[in-house]
Amino acid sequence: MMRRKEGRAGFLFALPWLFGLLAFMFYPLLMSLYYSFCDYSALRAPVWIGTDNYSELFHDEVFWTCVKNTLLYACVSLPLGMVMAIGLAMLLNLNVKGMSIYRTIFFIPSLVPMVSLAMLWLWILNGDYGVLNTALASIGIKGPNWLGDVAWSKPALILMSVWGVGNAMLIYLASLQDVPASLLEAAELDGANSWQKTRNVTLPMISPVIQFNMVMGIIGSLQVFAIPFVMFPGGTPARSTYFYAMYLYDNAFNYSRMGYASAMGWILFLVILLLTLVALKLSNKHVHYGGV
Amino acid sequence: MSKLSDLFIPGLISLSLFALAGTELRSHPTEDASKTHIAVWVGWSGFEYDAFQGVVNDYNKSQNKVFVDLLSITGNSTKTLISTSAGIPPEISLLSAAEIPQFADAGAIEVLDDECKLHGWTEDKYVPGYWDVLQYHGHTMALPATPSTVALHYNTDILKRAGYDKPPETIEEMDEMVNKITKVEDGKVKLAGFLPAEPGWWRWSWGPFFGGQLWDGKSRITMNTPENLRAMKWVESFSKRFGPAQISSYKSGFGVFASPENAFLADKVAMEVQGVWMHNFIQKYNPKLQWRAAPFPYPKDRPDLKGHTIIEQDIFVLLKNCKHRQAAIDFLAYLQKQGPMEKLCLGQKKSSPLRVKSPEFWAKHDNPSIHLFDDMAYSKSCFSTPKLGIWPEYDAEIANALDEVSLLRKTPEEAIRAIDERMQPKLDQYLNRLEKRRRAGK
Amino acid sequence: MKRKKLLAALPHFALVSLSCLFLFPFLWLLDTAVKPISETMKQPPVWIPSKFEFGNFWEAINYGSDKVGYIPFLVYAENTVMLAILVVTGTVISNAIVAYSFARVRWWGRDIIFAVTLATMMVPFPVMMVPTFTIFKYLGWIGTYRPLWVPAWFGSAFSIFLLRQFFKTIPFELSEAAKLDGAGEWTIFRSVILPLSKPALSVVALFSFMGTWNDFLGPLIYLLRQDTFTLSLGLEFYHSKAGGTQWNLLMAATTIVILPVLVVFFFCQKQFIKGISITGIK
Repeated sequence: MMRRKEGRAGFLFALPWLFGLLAFMFYPLLMSLYYSFCDYSALRAPVWIGTDNYSELFHDEVFWTCVKNTLLYACVSLPLGMVMAIGLAMLLNLNVKGMSIYRTIFFIPSLVPMVSLAMLWLWILNGDYGVLNTALASIGIKGPNWLGDVAWSKPALILMSVWGVGNAMLIYLASLQDVPASLLEAAELDGANSWQKTRNVTLPMISPVIQFNMVMGIIGSLQVFAIPFVMFPGGTPARSTYFYAMYLYDNAFNYSRMGYASAMGWILFLVILLLTLVALKLSNKHVHYGGV
Repeated sequence: MSKLSDLFIPGLISLSLFALAGTELRSHPTEDASKTHIAVWVGWSGFEYDAFQGVVNDYNKSQNKVFVDLLSITGNSTKTLISTSAGIPPEISLLSAAEIPQFADAGAIEVLDDECKLHGWTEDKYVPGYWDVLQYHGHTMALPATPSTVALHYNTDILKRAGYDKPPETIEEMDEMVNKITKVEDGKVKLAGFLPAEPGWWRWSWGPFFGGQLWDGKSRITMNTPENLRAMKWVESFSKRFGPAQISSYKSGFGVFASPENAFLADKVAMEVQGVWMHNFIQKYNPKLQWRAAPFPYPKDRPDLKGHTIIEQDIFVLLKNCKHRQAAIDFLAYLQKQGPMEKLCLGQKKSSPLRVKSPEFWAKHDNPSIHLFDDMAYSKSCFSTPKLGIWPEYDAEIANALDEVSLLRKTPEEAIRAIDERMQPKLDQYLNRLEKRRRAGK
Repeated sequence: MKRKKLLAALPHFALVSLSCLFLFPFLWLLDTAVKPISETMKQPPVWIPSKFEFGNFWEAINYGSDKVGYIPFLVYAENTVMLAILVVTGTVISNAIVAYSFARVRWWGRDIIFAVTLATMMVPFPVMMVPTFTIFKYLGWIGTYRPLWVPAWFGSAFSIFLLRQFFKTIPFELSEAAKLDGAGEWTIFRSVILPLSKPALSVVALFSFMGTWNDFLGPLIYLLRQDTFTLSLGLEFYHSKAGGTQWNLLMAATTIVILPVLVVFFFCQKQFIKGISITGIK
C-alpha cells in the first residue's frame, strides 16, 4: 500500500520532466529525423525525398570542410582547455592570500557576453593595429595577421576558447576541495613529492569529474557557433573558420534548407554519441570511483 | 531558517509571475483599436530610417483609417522569413531586390500584377533598370523603395599626384594607374590604387563588369566562361603584383566603413566602387576629401559595356497571408506617388526610381554626381544579381572562390570550375524539386 | 632551503602572471569604456586615455536616443532580467522537484528514465533547432519570450543530474523520521530536503542565469522585434554596419552588463564552489 502511494508520488514529481522529455526532446528528435529525409523549407510543407540529403551531404565539399575545421578545433581546444582548467583549479586550490580575487579574475571571461567577447577579440587580434601584435612588436616579435591568414584564424579561435574555461575550472576546483587532506598527508609521509602527489592521489581522486568535463567538452566544442559567427561571417578567410554549426545555421535559415540542416544535425548527434561512448570506454579504465 | 525557506518558493513564484506579466506585455504591444494597424519592417537604421519615418508620419496624419507601425529590424530578411514561416508575417517588408527569387519561390510574397494594372504602376513609369529587378518569371513581385547604382569613386588628389587628371576609361588604363599609384615600401603596402576586396560588397560583380554572365537565365550556371575567367585573373593579378599577405595585412588596418578610418576616406585606397550613398559618408567623416565619380571602366575590347553599373534596389514586398492586405496596398500606393517617393529618396540621398522627377528634387539633391547615378540606370549594360532562388548560396560560393584566388590558394581556372561544379547540381536539384512541388500543387 | 622557498613562491608567480593574462582583455575592455571614440582605434593603441570619459557609461545607456524609433538600452536590460527570472525560477523549481523523485522516491521505470535523461545530454542543440522551432511555430509563440523560458519549467538533464547527485547525499534517516511523523513526499521535499539544498540550488541557478544572460542563438531565432531583444542581441546594435562600431560605448555597455553578475559571483563564490563540491558530479 505504502509502496504504491510512494510510486505514484514519485511519478507525479517526475511528471514535468517526463512531459519535457517527450515534448522538447523526443518529439523534436524524431521530427528532425523525419525532416532529414525531406525537402523542407519551413515556408513549405515537407516532401519525402528518401536519403537524398544524406547522399548530398556526403558529396558536399563545404560540409567536409566544416567537419575538418570543427574536428581540428575540438581536438586542440578540448585538451588544451582541460589542461588549462585543471591547472588553474589546482592553483586556485592553494592556500594563498587573496584567493577570492584570483577566482573571480579567472571567472570573468565566462561572464562577458559572447558578442562583446567576439568584438573585443576582433580588435585585440587585428593584424595591423591589434593590441596583441603591438605588444608582441614591443618585445621584437612580428605577430601574424591573426584574422586574415588562413593558417592563423583557427589558432586565434582556440586561443580565445582557452580564455573561457571558467565554468569547467569552477567544477574542478570544487572537486579538488573534496580530495581528503588525509590522503595527501599519507602520501607525503610516504615521501611523495608534489608531482607524485598530483599524479597518484589528486588526479585519480578527481578523475570522475575530469571524465564529466571531457564529455561536456566534446559536446560543446563540436557545436562551436556564436564567437566565429560574429567574428568571421561566412567563415572567412577562405572558409578556414567555417564550423559545423555555422553551415547548419546557414542552410536552415539563410538557404531555407531545413531538411538538409536536419540531416546535418542528426549526423552531429550520432558523431557526438559515438565519440562520447568511445571516450567513456577509453577513460573508464582510469576513472577512480568510490572515493569519498 | 525554516521561515526563510517557507518564503522561498512563493517568493520565486510571485517574482516570476511579475516577470511573466512583463514579458507578455512586451511581446504584445497595445494597439489603438480604432485604426487598422499594418506592420512595416525595414532593415534601415540611422538617417535612412529617419527619412522613411518622416514619410510614414505624413501618411499616418493624412488619413485616419490606417496606422503604419514602422519597425527597424536588424537582419530584417531572415526575421521576415522566420515570421512568415510562423504564420505571423508583417504586412510589408523591405528587402533587397536580390532576395525576391528566394521569397517568391517559397510562395512567401504576393504577385502584384493586378495592383500594378489597377494603379498604373507600369514599365513606362519607372526607370528601366529599377523596374527590371522587380520582375520575376514575368510577374511583378515587389515595388521600388530606394534605388541606387554604383560608380568608381576616385580621389582626385591622389590621382593628380600620380599625374592623372581623368579617371580611367578602360580596365587596362586603370591597371596602369594602379601600378603607378600603389606604393610598397619594405614589403609593406603604403597606398593602394584599387583593391578588388574593398569594400568587398559586390564580390560577384567582377565577372559581369568584364561582360560575363553568371547564369543563362534558365537553368545553367555559367561561371566557367572566358569573361568570368578574365575577371578572376584580374582579381588574382592584384595578389600577384603586390603579394597576398601584403594586401591582407594592409586591409586589416582599414577602419570600419562609417568612420573617418574608412579606407577611401583615410586616403588608403585611391579608387573604390561605391554607391550613391558614399557622398553622405564623405560629407560626414571627411568633407575635405577631393573626389569624383565615374562609371566603372570597361575592358578595352568591349566598348559596348561602357557606362555599366550594378543596379541595387531596396524594395517593398507584400507578404502572403498578412492580416490587412488592402490597407497595405493603400500604403504602397501612397509611397509610389511622386511626392512621397521623392521625399523618401531625397531623405536617403538617393535617386528616385520614377522617370519623372520634379525640378526641386534635382535642386535639393546635394550629391554632385546624382545625374550620373541616375543616367546609368538607363544604360543597356547595367546588371543586377541573377534572379535565382539559390542566389544566397551561389553568392557565398563566389565570395569564397575570390578569397581562395586572392590568397593564391587556387588558380582562377580551378576556382571558377569549382563554382560551376558545385552550383550546377544544386541548381538542377532546386529547379527539379520546385517543379515537382508545382506539379503536386503544394 | 633556498630552493624550497623558491618553489613556494612559484604558485604566487604563476597566479599573478596568469591573472594578468586573463585580466588583460578585460582591462582593455574597461580601458576602452572610458576612452574618447577617437582613441579607440588609434595606431599604435593608446593605453592610457588622454581624458577619462566616464560619461561614456551614461552615453551608452542613452545611445541613439535622438533617433526616431530608438530602443533604450535599459529596455534590453529589463527584457533580459525578466527572462532570466522566468528561466531561473523554472529551472530551480522544476529540476528540484524532478531530481527529488529520481533521487529519493522509488517508482517503476525510474532508473531507465534516468539513464535516458543522461543520454539526452548528448543531443546537440542544432539537431533540436529546426523541429523545436516548428513546435513553437504551431503554438504561435514565435516573436514572444515563451520559447525561451517555457521549456525551462519542464526540467533540463544537466540540472536534474546535478541535483539528483546532491539529494542522494542527504541522509535517508531524515526522510524516514519525517515519514513517521506522517509527512507526505511533498512535505518532506519542502521542509527537509529544500532547506538543506541551498548551495546546490544556487549552483543550478547560477548556471541557468548565465546561460540565459549570454544566450545568443535562442533570442536570435525567436525574437523578432527590436524592442523585445535581450542584451546579448542588443549589444550588436552598437556594431551596426551603417553606423560604424562605437567601440567605447559598446565596451561601456558590456561593463554595465557584466558588473552585476561579477559582484554576485565575487561575494557568493564560496557558496557556489561548496554547492558544486557537494553535488559531486560523478
